[in-house]
Amino acid sequence: MLNKTIVRLAVPLAVGALALTGCGDGGSGDGGGDTVKIGFQGPLSGDNVQLGQNMENGVRLAIDQANASGDYDFEVEYFAADDQGLPDKAPTAAQSAISEEVIAVVGPAFSGSADASAEYYAEAGIPAVSSSATRADLTTKGYGSFLRAVPNDSAQGAGMATYLSKSTDAEKVVVVDDKTDYGVGLADVAEQSLKDAGLEVVRHSVPQKTPDYSAAARNVVGADADALIYAGYYEDAGPFATKLDEAGFEGIRMSGDGSRDMQFVELAGDSANDWLLTCACTDPTQEEATKKFAEDYEAAFNQPPGTYSAESFDVANLIIEQIAETGGADSTGEKLLEALRAVEYKGITKEFSFDDTGDFTNQTIYMYEVQDREINYLGSVDKLTAK
Amino acid sequence: MSLNAFWDFLVLGLVLGCLYAVIAIGYTLVYGVLQLLNFAHSEVFMFGAFGGLLALTVWAPAADPAGVQSVVYVVVGLLAGAAFGGAVAYGLEKVAYRPLRRRGAPRLVFLITAIGASFFLYNLAGKLFGRNSLAMPNLYENRRVLTVFGADLNITQVIIVVSAVGMMVGLDYVVNRTKLGSGIRAVAQDPEVASLMGVDIDKVVSRTFVIGGLLGGAAGFLFGVNNKVVYTMGFLPGITAFAAAVLGGIGNVRGAMLGGMLLGVVETMTVFVWGEEWRYVAGFAALVLVLMFRPTGLLGERVGRTA
Repeated sequence: MLNKTIVRLAVPLAVGALALTGCGDGGSGDGGGDTVKIGFQGPLSGDNVQLGQNMENGVRLAIDQANASGDYDFEVEYFAADDQGLPDKAPTAAQSAISEEVIAVVGPAFSGSADASAEYYAEAGIPAVSSSATRADLTTKGYGSFLRAVPNDSAQGAGMATYLSKSTDAEKVVVVDDKTDYGVGLADVAEQSLKDAGLEVVRHSVPQKTPDYSAAARNVVGADADALIYAGYYEDAGPFATKLDEAGFEGIRMSGDGSRDMQFVELAGDSANDWLLTCACTDPTQEEATKKFAEDYEAAFNQPPGTYSAESFDVANLIIEQIAETGGADSTGEKLLEALRAVEYKGITKEFSFDDTGDFTNQTIYMYEVQDREINYLGSVDKLTAK
Repeated sequence: MSLNAFWDFLVLGLVLGCLYAVIAIGYTLVYGVLQLLNFAHSEVFMFGAFGGLLALTVWAPAADPAGVQSVVYVVVGLLAGAAFGGAVAYGLEKVAYRPLRRRGAPRLVFLITAIGASFFLYNLAGKLFGRNSLAMPNLYENRRVLTVFGADLNITQVIIVVSAVGMMVGLDYVVNRTKLGSGIRAVAQDPEVASLMGVDIDKVVSRTFVIGGLLGGAAGFLFGVNNKVVYTMGFLPGITAFAAAVLGGIGNVRGAMLGGMLLGVVETMTVFVWGEEWRYVAGFAALVLVLMFRPTGLLGERVGRTA
């Protein structure tokens, strides 16, 4: 409650300050030294720091390249708002970005955090463009300035179902969720889409952090199905994969972006072989269009781009371009938001445009396969099933 | 729900039950001599898993060991797990409980200390070993080797059952047939008289902790081989094993073994019939039900009178 009251007071002040600086810059500015600030909100410490860094690096690379290019008559600055990926830390992170007078934010990275901070950005009139918050209901809650530049979980569930029904001869599928918001949401959509496609579905629930997956795996075998979808995270998908192997499950195995992590492969070892993993993310090191990005990224940060790095790079570039379109350093959050809503931008990963609710219009899902301790890129589900 | 599936789940339940039983012994022994609920025992179990993992990682096993090499690795892992568990349990008694005992602190203080020690230990493990889950290195090719009533047992399961049963038989022998065992039983029955008869209580208590720690640590290693190793892995198996000790009659060693086996089977059968979500609901419902009719557990309390 207290937090909210403070923000209610702080927001008009921040907006006021933003307007003032906007005017000030406009008065003194004839291009050259004017600056705008772009924020990133996501986990930059805590348990999920890797995902946050992947995205932060993408954003920073975009900003550095824009500044170095000389194409723009304003300087872009970067501001990091760390929310640890936790909803209860998100409002504070959002406030820090708002009081830093950022013109737009890439993020929030996680769905829970996005839900907890979108309201504040809306009140401050700052566009928040997330490249990774996939929970379906985020765009149906009417947050005024929240845009999602990534297919949502419904698209992923539907992608799984499309692949199983068109590219395999599976007839009966076990869908296992992990009882988390993410897992249940994904599993619900997958189950519905599979049923619509005429496949038989058996639904199991195995709570996250179950210490021993033997019995759950034996239950999957007992369902006598020829495919399995696990909707959960890699920490649990790893042991589950091992136990499925031990129990003698021989069907197709599939999971979502929550399991698309090397940790999954390390935990499951050889049992991870043949697992299919869907993700709304591309593999920048594989696609022709993103190879240059992957090289630049590796040169700048000494590691290959990770999950959602390229998407964050695209979103940052999209924002920078629209700032230039709406007056450079004179642009405001409101003007920028209006421009972003109507944008049609071709990034390195995909085309960006948003529907009336701020959801992404391009719902392409990509498929990966684990083989010999590597996660290999197969291509988009549309392409794979078009054969 | 075929008969075949029934046997499969029964085997899975017994394997899990073996692990619960070995952990439960640690709770019950300490309760027997000190009337102390050592909640930090779940962390002893967790450290055992990390001990085995560390030993095997530092020692860098071959990529695909087989035959004699596999046996050596498993034995090394078990011993390292037991050693880690024993060392942590020894340190725990020395640092956390002995000073309180010297000053005659009230019962509640012990309980809070136990919970505090548990928090300290698992956060320490998170700090030392990282917060990601880890897998044990490959020790052998885990294929099916045995068929009992149509249920297949793989190597891991055979190892768990054999070593757990071995540990239980060994422990039963120690408690009932050796001098240390009679010391433990004497202290459990009446500490004052035991000390008048020349039993060194401090020594007996300390050794009791170490025995519990050895078993718990070895169980931790086995659990890690069967599943994964992570700093929070102690909590659920620990609390279940504690329930198993109460179910069998806390303080009673054979009761703890029986309770562990029963809970393992009840939990797994629940998963079979109702699904994974009901696992702990049914396990603890069984506990409450038994305690309603036998408040002192299946075999009754007291470490002094086994069976």
